Amino acid sequence: MPRKVAAVAGGLTYFSKARKDKTQEELAAEAARMALFENDIDLAKDDIDGTIVSYFSDHFEDQLLFGSIIQDYLGFNPKPSVRIEGGGATGGLAVRDAYAHVASGLLDVAMVIGFEKMSEVNTAKGNEFIALASDTDWDFPIGGFYSGYYALMARRHMEEFGTTEEQMAMVAVKNRNNAQHNKFAQTNPKMNPFAMKDGGKITVDDVLKSPYVSYPLKRLDICLMSDGAAVLILASEEKAKKITDTPVWITGTGAGTDAMRAGDRPRTVAGVPMLPHEKKEWYKKLEYPGVHSFRAGRESARQAYKMANITNPLKQLDVIELHDAYTSSEIQTYEDLGLTRYGQGGKLVEEGVTAIDGDLPVNPSGGLIGTMHAVGGTGVMQAVEMLWQLQGVSGKFHGSDKTQVKNAERGLIHSHAGTGTYVTATIMER
Amino acid sequence: MTEVYSIDPLIIKTPYEITYKHSYGKTSKFFTSLSSGKLMTTRCEHCKVTFLPPRADCPNCLRETKWVEISGKGTIHTFTTLYFSGEKFLKDLPFQLVYVDLEGVDTLFLTRLKTKDMKKVKVGMKIRMRISKELEWRSSDVWAEPYE
Ligand SMILES: [Zn+2]
Repeated sequence: MPRKVAAVAGGLTYFSKARKDKTQEELAAEAARMALFENDIDLAKDDIDGTIVSYFSDHFEDQLLFGSIIQDYLGFNPKPSVRIEGGGATGGLAVRDAYAHVASGLLDVAMVIGFEKMSEVNTAKGNEFIALASDTDWDFPIGGFYSGYYALMARRHMEEFGTTEEQMAMVAVKNRNNAQHNKFAQTNPKMNPFAMKDGGKITVDDVLKSPYVSYPLKRLDICLMSDGAAVLILASEEKAKKITDTPVWITGTGAGTDAMRAGDRPRTVAGVPMLPHEKKEWYKKLEYPGVHSFRAGRESARQAYKMANITNPLKQLDVIELHDAYTSSEIQTYEDLGLTRYGQGGKLVEEGVTAIDGDLPVNPSGGLIGTMHAVGGTGVMQAVEMLWQLQGVSGKFHGSDKTQVKNAERGLIHSHAGTGTYVTATIMER
Repeated sequence: MTEVYSIDPLIIKTPYEITYKHSYGKTSKFFTSLSSGKLMTTRCEHCKVTFLPPRADCPNCLRETKWVEISGKGTIHTFTTLYFSGEKFLKDLPFQLVYVDLEGVDTLFLTRLKTKDMKKVKVGMKIRMRISKELEWRSSDVWAEPYE
C-alpha cells in the first residue's frame, strides 16, 4: 500500500515577462525561501530528503543539466534529485513524481522546484522553441506555432458544438480579473512590482477587440510567457503531522497521453472514456477525441477521480486550478474533467459556474492567462495555490482576501502539455 | 567580441547556430516520391489503417506498414489564419493552416492552405494537395489548395 502524502508548504516568486534582476537559480531560491520561512510549519531546510526539479526547456537558457545547478545552488548536495520534463505538463508531472517518491517511501520529505526563465530570447524565438515541442518532421516546418495548433482545435470545437468567441472571451475576463487580487500575477501592476505596465482588469469587449494571433484566438485569449519559480514541499503522513497542523492530502492522481500530431488521434464514434456520472447515450454520435477534445485530460481525470472516490466532480470539488494556456482549452478542459457534458463547456463559463463566486471556481489565482506561465513552474504553482486555498491562507499570500474560495475542502489541479499530449490531474483535500 | 546589452544587471548577448544531419529513415520515400509527382504514404494491411504522415511501423499492432499512393483530394476539417508565429515563419504572415481529411487516409493531415481568398475558407471545403516544383525536403513541400 502507498503511504499517505500531504502538501505542507509552498512558495512563489513574483512573475514577470522578464525577471532580469535574478538568474534562474536565484528565482528558485526566492520561492524556496518563501516555502521554508513564510508557511506556518515546523521544518528546517535540512529536513528535506531530496528534490524533484521541474523545468521544460534546455533551449531558453542554453544550459543542459540545470537540475544539478539548482541542487547545488539551494544547498541540497549530496541528497537525491531528479529532473522531470513533460512540456507544459512538466510541473504537474513533477508534483505527481514527488507524490510517488514519498508514497513509496523513497523520500519522507520532498521539495518540488519548478521554474522557467523564458525572457532571454525574443518572443518569436521563444514561440519557436515552444513549437519545437511539436513534431519537427511534419507539423513544425509548415509554420508551426502553438497558438495555431490550438486555434485549429478551437475552430473544430466551435464547429462541433457551437462554442463562441464570446464564451472564450469570458474565460479571459474571469482569469485576468481574478489575477488582479493576486500579488504574484504578471498582469497585476497594482500589486506586483515586476508586472506588465498595461495589465489590469479587462472586459469581454477588450478581448474581442484585441488583435487575432491565430483565428479564432486573439491576443487576450492566450496565456502569458513568464520568468519565475514555484516550490512545493510534500511529506509522508508521519512527518506531515509533525510539520503542520493543516496538511493538505493528495488523495488521487492520474496521467494521460495522446498523439503528438493531433491529426493522428482517433475519431471513434461513441469513443468517450466514461466517468461515473455520465450516460453513454450523451455521446453515441460523437467522434472522439478528434481534434476538438483532449483524451489525455479525460484519462487523467478518470484515474484521479477513481483513486479519490469522486463520482460527481461538479458537486464534489470545491475549487480547480487548470491549465488555461488558451481560453478555448479551459472550455475544452471543463468537458474533459466532466464538469459538464462534452459540448457544453462554453455554457459553463457563460452561466458563471466557474467564476470566483460560482459553484465551482476555476483558476481563482488568475491561471496562466492572468498570473503566469513559466512552463516548468506552472504545474507547481497550481499545487501551491491549491495548498493555500485548502488551508484557507490564500489571502495572506496573495495580499487580498478576494481570491480565497470560502470553506474549500477538496480541489483539483490540472497540468497539460502541447495540444494535450501529456496531461495530469491531481486531487488535494484538507 | 561579446556584445553587452546592459550593465546593471550585466546582460551579454550569446549567439547560437547549429546544423543537424537529419535522417527521415524509412519515411524517406514520402519525400523522394514527390520528385515524380506522387503522394505516397503507408498503410497497415493488418489493421486496415492508412497513415499520413507515414509511419514505418503500425502503432496499433507494431507490424511493418506498406507504401500506397493517395489521390491528395479531400476536405478541410478545421482551419486557422495566423497573424503571428515562431521566428522562422514571421516572413510568411499572414498564412493559413488546415487539418485536411484526405481520400483513402484515416488520419487528419496538418498542412498549409494556399488560396487567393482567405476569407472564403470554410470547414468542409474541397481541397487538393499540391507538390512544390522546388523541393526543400520538408513537409512544407506539399500544401492544400481549394479545388473546384
Ligand atoms: Zn497494424
